[in-house]
Amino acid sequence: MTSQPKTVPRDIQVMSAILKDVGVNDHEPRVLNQMMEFAYRYVTDVLDDARVYSSHSKKKAIDEDDVRLAVQYKLEYGFTTPPPKDLLLDVARSKNSVALPLIKPYIGPKLPPDRYCLCAPNYKLRSLKKPKYPQSGIVQVTQRHIQGSKTAGGQMSGQPLTLVSSRPVSQPAMTIRQNVVPVSHPQNPVPIIRLTSGNQSQTSVASSAIDAALKRKRDEDDDYDN
Amino acid sequence: MDKQTLLAVLQVLKKYNLKDTELLLKKEAHVTEDEVKAEPSASGVTDVLAAYKSEGDPRRYESFYSSLKNFIEKSLDIHKCELSMVLYPVFVHMYLELVYNHHEQQAIQFFYKFSADQEWYYQEDLVQLATVTKAEHMAGNQLLDNFKGSKFTIRMSRDSYNHLKRHLLEQKLNILLTIIQDHLFIDVFDGVPRTKQQIDATAGGMCGEARREANKTKVLYGLLKEPEINITVEDEDEGQETDDKPKKKKAKKDSQLNKKQKHDPNAPQLTRIPLPEMTDQMKLEKARAFKEGLRRINLSAETLPSICFYTLLNSYHGVTSVDFCEDSSLMAAGFADSQIRVWTMTPNKLRAIKTSDDLNIIDKEADDVYERLMDDRTSVDCRLLCGHSGAVYATSFTPDRTQMVSCSEDGTIRLWSLLTWSNLVCYKGHNFPVWDVHFSPLGHYFVSCGHDRTARVWSTDHFQPLRIFSGHVADVDTVQFHPNCNYIATGSSDRTVCLWDLLNGNCVRVMTGHKAPIYSLIFSPCGRYLASAGADKNVLIWDLANGDLISQLKGHKDTIFSLCFSRGGALLASGGLDNIVRLWNFSKLLEDHENESTVFVFFFYRNESSAYEIMSYPTKSTPILSLHFTRRNLLLATGPFKGNS
Repeated sequence: MTSQPKTVPRDIQVMSAILKDVGVNDHEPRVLNQMMEFAYRYVTDVLDDARVYSSHSKKKAIDEDDVRLAVQYKLEYGFTTPPPKDLLLDVARSKNSVALPLIKPYIGPKLPPDRYCLCAPNYKLRSLKKPKYPQSGIVQVTQRHIQGSKTAGGQMSGQPLTLVSSRPVSQPAMTIRQNVVPVSHPQNPVPIIRLTSGNQSQTSVASSAIDAALKRKRDEDDDYDN
Repeated sequence: MDKQTLLAVLQVLKKYNLKDTELLLKKEAHVTEDEVKAEPSASGVTDVLAAYKSEGDPRRYESFYSSLKNFIEKSLDIHKCELSMVLYPVFVHMYLELVYNHHEQQAIQFFYKFSADQEWYYQEDLVQLATVTKAEHMAGNQLLDNFKGSKFTIRMSRDSYNHLKRHLLEQKLNILLTIIQDHLFIDVFDGVPRTKQQIDATAGGMCGEARREANKTKVLYGLLKEPEINITVEDEDEGQETDDKPKKKKAKKDSQLNKKQKHDPNAPQLTRIPLPEMTDQMKLEKARAFKEGLRRINLSAETLPSICFYTLLNSYHGVTSVDFCEDSSLMAAGFADSQIRVWTMTPNKLRAIKTSDDLNIIDKEADDVYERLMDDRTSVDCRLLCGHSGAVYATSFTPDRTQMVSCSEDGTIRLWSLLTWSNLVCYKGHNFPVWDVHFSPLGHYFVSCGHDRTARVWSTDHFQPLRIFSGHVADVDTVQFHPNCNYIATGSSDRTVCLWDLLNGNCVRVMTGHKAPIYSLIFSPCGRYLASAGADKNVLIWDLANGDLISQLKGHKDTIFSLCFSRGGALLASGGLDNIVRLWNFSKLLEDHENESTVFVFFFYRNESSAYEIMSYPTKSTPILSLHFTRRNLLLATGPFKGNS
């Protein structure tokens, strides 16, 4: 072949000589580019680290010890090799001395404890709520107030927002009723329903108002989280 | 006084902080500071490497080695072959001593002069060795640590050994003597020295051959006692499976079933290792397998199997592994882009199990409840499983086809459910690429092997391995379960095949003879023989009763990737990179082996490969990735289409 218009750069020649030395006889041409990239990146990393070490020890220029330290660091953390044979033998000996565990019969698919499985759901559903909700709650409470508040909750009259539900048991029930509320018109049937249930309903509605306010806040948080 | 000794003494003094003595000695012996600095500090190097500290004159190493070579050349023919086994380890250790003691130039010259003389199967190791020219290189090189840490084993007859020893003592070749004593293990036996052929058969291991004690343990290679399932077979093949009541036995029992009732002294007890119990599903499966087995074509040299070849197109650089389930109804392929695809081979499509709401509705007492579990709306021909983050190197199905395990370059093994088609568990233990994984024939246990030089046994309900088999000095490339689930065979890049006991993790057999990494292993259906093949293009057959090599089957022209015995064990099929499927007459091989009247020493083997090769079937340009005999002895083969690339 006559001389080519482009000559191969010296670095590439060196790299292909290295590959041949190590025993790689057959490779795609792109491998050389990959190796060059790797070599360049490795050397710059090592020299960067060496500069950090030399500036740490307040030296003016990088010297051999810094480079040596940088290379050692890279070897330990960048290029991990399988554990040495004696360590493997020790681990194996301790593992193999334990008897094989018996197999429990007739339990469906035998899987490790749930912590180690990938079966758990990785999502949670967000409950649907309309944004207008707290107003309707307050309206209800004032209506309550107009219709005459019972003294069951005690703190109810006039300051609905400061009410703290003294009966946490009722709270779960509230959430269900919460959902019912925004569906229907705030003014109409709901107060009537509330009255018939009695004491519990009053406290629960009021605290449900607060809960609604709190819940909406939490919802907003969720929104921001996602 | 010898400079080396002097410097060594100075180092000891320095180590123990005897400064005054050190100064005095330096002054009196006129040692300069440079020479002292030239000594490497022992703190940074391992004990193994410190063993290379020698007092020899570097320039004389070449002459020592040449003199050893000449001595061996001149010795009697019967001794020559055995003694020449010593040359390779001595060469390597002398080279490493030179390098360790900083005699770089002499080391390179020494290497250059003598490396080409070594056997061809050591050349790859020597190439690796050649990259180490400075003492600093040695500390980081793992391969060196590994295979120089373990002693190189050679088996030699007593006569040759005495001959060698006498010569070395007479000539006062102390260096060679120390090397041989420190780094070689010569397993001396009383008997006739071996011929070149015999030596060649077992040579090739990275650390030499196997010691005799390594193969002394009794191996229970028999098959497990089959459970009592009385399968009734009527004329139209509508067999019904009954309970374990012997009174209900009906006619037409296959001779196979009768044989299994006899007690086999070489078979392990059923309780030796915990085995999963036989579920109803498995009993049905066994009955079905038995019925299909009746329809099986018994293969022989005259009755050859048909071969059905599945070619994967557009995936020469993509597909990395292919596997069939035991009844050949599912095929799984692992790809380099970390996907796994599962195809169905029968008209039954792949369905997913119904959601829990739907499952609550179905009638649990119905006869076809297993059919009702599956959602017909989701039936497809091919399913895609994503989850790994590296190329998938092997997959394996459970015998009941409800789960599948896969291993990958990212170091994890994943368990997939084939009912929900999702990833159930991710087993992390190997932190390096896992090359092979296999479920046991009874399910529940699976074994994996990888780059970290270990093989590990896991069970699906433990997130950590139950057993770790460590002993290989290079990557373990392939692993296989014995049909009786009590033993595991591993093939490695250090060119040895080892057999491990699942009960206590011991290595019970070490078999050397391959001259290149081993890529495929298979046990014979009777459990007594093991076939292995790899990059050295030969299939080697081993007898597990004593670890001997029975035969070498030569014929392939390139690396062999897969082996499979026919059902019944009459034929062995092999295929690989040379695009040819070859069938070997295994029953004839066994007959000939049994008929051998001469009971020879432990290295006897037969090498009439062409006598055993029945047929070869070339594909045009498709290397063979996997071979599988169906229950009726149809051979399924798969490979990626290569074309002209």
